[in-house]
Amino acid sequence: MDDAVGSRLAELWPYLLQTLLLGAGTTVFLTIASLLVAIALGFVLALMRRSDNLILGGIARVYLEIFRNVPILTQLFILYFGLARLGITLPAATAAILGFGLNGAAILSEVFRASINAIDRGQGEAALAIGMTPARAMWVIVLPQAVRIALPPTGNFAIGLFKDTSLASAAAVPELAFRAKMLVSETYLTNEIYLMVAAIYLGMSLPVAHLVKRAERRFTPQKAH
Amino acid sequence: MGVLDLWEMIRPELLTAALATLQLALGALLLGLVLGLLLALARLGGNPLLGRLAGIYIEIFRGTPALLQLFIIYFGLAAIGVTFSSFQAAVIGLGLNAAAYLAEIYRAGLEAVPKGQTEAAQAIGMTRGQVLAWIVLPQALRVVLAPIGNVAISLLKDTSVASLIAAPDLMLRAQDLSSQYFMPLEIYLIVGAMYFALCFPLSLLVRRIERAQERRS
Repeated sequence: MDDAVGSRLAELWPYLLQTLLLGAGTTVFLTIASLLVAIALGFVLALMRRSDNLILGGIARVYLEIFRNVPILTQLFILYFGLARLGITLPAATAAILGFGLNGAAILSEVFRASINAIDRGQGEAALAIGMTPARAMWVIVLPQAVRIALPPTGNFAIGLFKDTSLASAAAVPELAFRAKMLVSETYLTNEIYLMVAAIYLGMSLPVAHLVKRAERRFTPQKAH
Repeated sequence: MGVLDLWEMIRPELLTAALATLQLALGALLLGLVLGLLLALARLGGNPLLGRLAGIYIEIFRGTPALLQLFIIYFGLAAIGVTFSSFQAAVIGLGLNAAAYLAEIYRAGLEAVPKGQTEAAQAIGMTRGQVLAWIVLPQALRVVLAPIGNVAISLLKDTSVASLIAAPDLMLRAQDLSSQYFMPLEIYLIVGAMYFALCFPLSLLVRRIERAQERRS
């Protein structure tokens, strides 16, 4: 780093950091909002796949295959630029939350399905035998156990989602990556800014990854060899 | 203009771009497979310094967005005089990123081979290299095949991110064409269908491998 860059950085860094942290706040908001949409819709999809109704199960499967085999960026562009042509203009952040939520639901539905399936069948059967309705057996007996199994993979998904929200910068959502791009074209402190951004992403993702690893050790059933 | 007429008009350009997407994914996968194996061996080999460095590499690349990594390799390195074409930067960036994930997959695969296998091979006089090449890696390969397939599918989709550094892939062509024809919905849906046509057969293949392994174990 030469002296000119050094002194500009010394002068500008409070402004850079402040702007980037503002972006980081938007990134966190996008992540949490998308995660909530993904969990709710993913749970519905998992139940649809488990139901005996062939049509519901079929719809859930088709949904899953489409969303898992098309890039999230393409999905975002369809929602943001594509729908605008039909007169449906979504604000960029709304389109991003919807896109990440719809996409995440496909991934989480498989996580939830596998977690429910991992609970011993006898549990559900015993609950029915003592007179619980199927819905009650699901809520009171199966789900509380399944949630523990689903927790680590859902955490891993959340970390992936957190990083993927950077793609919303392509739709001009003022999150971390977008703010960084703007600051770079404003100050030309390219590497300094991107390294700050990398540190901010790492500072948020590593602690969560650490928590997920601990949860994995506690909750994930060990396979008997 | 209907969607089919549009498809007729833009098909040659999209097919060329799809080829670039495939090349991008394949290049990144090859880079990731080689570097990922080196990282896994560094983590499992006895040298603590190499193991630590590999660990830090993996944490950094898994803890930051691929988009940011592409920005640093394309714009950041250019700022200090190291210039790549956007295509090269995309192959390198996506490859370095995939290596971090593949290293963990290899590691799980290598650890899944029982220790007795290594000990038996050493007992009959094989060198460390021979044990790795003839005994451990072939057995680990079976374990890692399906996860590697999943990484390949992710890579194929993630190549779309390279369009954001203007690498000439399917998604960049779609952006050009939609500003040319003012039909973004139709064009992005067509391109989405093309990605699906590339990824879905791979997904089916990976699922078959997974099911075959479940039956075996």
